[in-house]
Amino acid sequence: MSDLTAIGLELAVVVTALSVLVLDLWTPPEQKRALGYVAAIAVGVIFVASFAVLIPEPRMAFGGMFRLDELSLYFKRFFLLTALVVLLMSTEIADRIEAGFPEYCALQLFALTGMMLAASAYHFAMVFVALELIAVTFYILTSYQRRRLASLEAGVKYLVLGAVASSFLVYGIALVFGAGGTLDFARLANSSNTGSHRVLELGLLLVFLGLTFKLASVPFQFWAPDVYQGAPTPTVAFLALGSKAAGVALLIRVFYEAAPAIGRGWHGLFAGVSAATMLYGVLCAIPQRNLKRLLGYSSIANGGFVFLGLSTFSAPGLSAVLYFLAAYLFTLGAAFFVLCLVAPTAETADIPALAGLHRRSPLLAAALALSMVSLAGIPPLAGFFGKFLLIKAALERGPSWPAMYALAGLALLAVVISIYYYFGVIRAMYWPGERERGIVRDPEPIVLSGLTRAVLWFCIIGMLWLGIAPDKVLNLAEHAVRALAL
Amino acid sequence: MTVGLGHYLTVSVVLFCLGLLGVIARRNVVIVYMALELMLNAANLALVAFSRFNRNLEGQVMVFFIITVAAAEVAVGLALIVALYRKRQTAHVEDLASMRL
Repeated sequence: MSDLTAIGLELAVVVTALSVLVLDLWTPPEQKRALGYVAAIAVGVIFVASFAVLIPEPRMAFGGMFRLDELSLYFKRFFLLTALVVLLMSTEIADRIEAGFPEYCALQLFALTGMMLAASAYHFAMVFVALELIAVTFYILTSYQRRRLASLEAGVKYLVLGAVASSFLVYGIALVFGAGGTLDFARLANSSNTGSHRVLELGLLLVFLGLTFKLASVPFQFWAPDVYQGAPTPTVAFLALGSKAAGVALLIRVFYEAAPAIGRGWHGLFAGVSAATMLYGVLCAIPQRNLKRLLGYSSIANGGFVFLGLSTFSAPGLSAVLYFLAAYLFTLGAAFFVLCLVAPTAETADIPALAGLHRRSPLLAAALALSMVSLAGIPPLAGFFGKFLLIKAALERGPSWPAMYALAGLALLAVVISIYYYFGVIRAMYWPGERERGIVRDPEPIVLSGLTRAVLWFCIIGMLWLGIAPDKVLNLAEHAVRALAL
Repeated sequence: MTVGLGHYLTVSVVLFCLGLLGVIARRNVVIVYMALELMLNAANLALVAFSRFNRNLEGQVMVFFIITVAAAEVAVGLALIVALYRKRQTAHVEDLASMRL
């Protein structure tokens, strides 16, 4: 019984998903959209309820497979808030999703369950099942607009590359089991000092590769631009926030808790991946003309920033990563919400098509502009403080490992390059050139519903609040990191 | 000659590499998908072999999870490939290039 209370939040999400599926049977077609609001309200309630969960000390459940601690709770709250924004986004475009809107919401809730379980996974079987729950639901979510070729193509690409990544992960788990003799993180941490090191390291390397797919970082970054461009926008937002953060949570679990000695020895690998990913992301983003594709490359670059924090193997670095993710949530939430409203198809997400958006809807233009500024890392917005904390944590590691100075310099360079293309988007909206002005034929105003305004304001205030008064969330992040023995 | 752990692992590694080669070299999405299953089964073989020679049943249980999840993945994957085939009348990797810069 006590084990069931440990997974209370996950159970609530599963019950919500099943209720949405059952309620769908009695809902007339023209009212299906209301189910999206039902799901969003339920997720909002669960998010608020998660603050009532008190864990004086880490709690293990199901024979040590599931661990409820402050770190997992931080990630669970992050996933719930992400799902709330994504569900509202999906409801906004409900009429464009022909193939069953309630199922679309239910699948998002199942993916959310997988993410929440991944945050608590303390056994490799749990890691695998949680990751596959996320992956398989996302194969469907990416190709959900199955009449659009782009969506299908994105789905097949995500499917093939995702399956390659999960077979790397599974083979890595097999080797870890062979060398360590167990799949349990706690026992693995005790036994990793003995036994055949080479096989264990090879296994962990394969697990690492499998997880880089989730973060869209080198060497598994190829899928991101195509999938971001082709998939339905709410799916992309969930992929960029939820799926990526689930990968981060598992990287922390495996390399900080299950194999801390090997993880610490691999800070060079983490730093190398960080450098390559940041450079690949920012350099490839420069010539892009499609905003969704641009955000795909930007997401790769931000995966590199996450690795910068992970490679420090220090408490400040890790809390900077957690803070960066929270900042990223509000920033991308605003950007994708605007994209949902102004760009119904992949073709209309071209950056020149945004020309004159501030005349059609000042709030949409302002929200998109602010989120671009935040992504670029300009003070006083949330994105600035996230990147500042990450680079600061890297510099603090400098005295004991001088290569971190170079990596921090590289991160600064990446920020400077990224300003160019993020401001290109703002320029296209407010100061379009002659050529772009001709593209937009219908400068009619966009009418926003009250709820849409509320969500946009929520994201804008979140971005400003995290940038101006970061201590509250930073305290939460530091508290979460204390669950780890660093 | 007795068959030892090394033999099983050699077969498993060969299977995994063949699968990876298939994913990289073959051009038909269905064949690529079969090669992916080969990679998963290579991992299953390794898990069972380790489990048998370490006298630890945990690995065998893991294999059940992998087989079940792989079945779900195949159901979704094949449905996707069929949907793509209906739309494009092709299942070749080269034809999946409508999105560029």
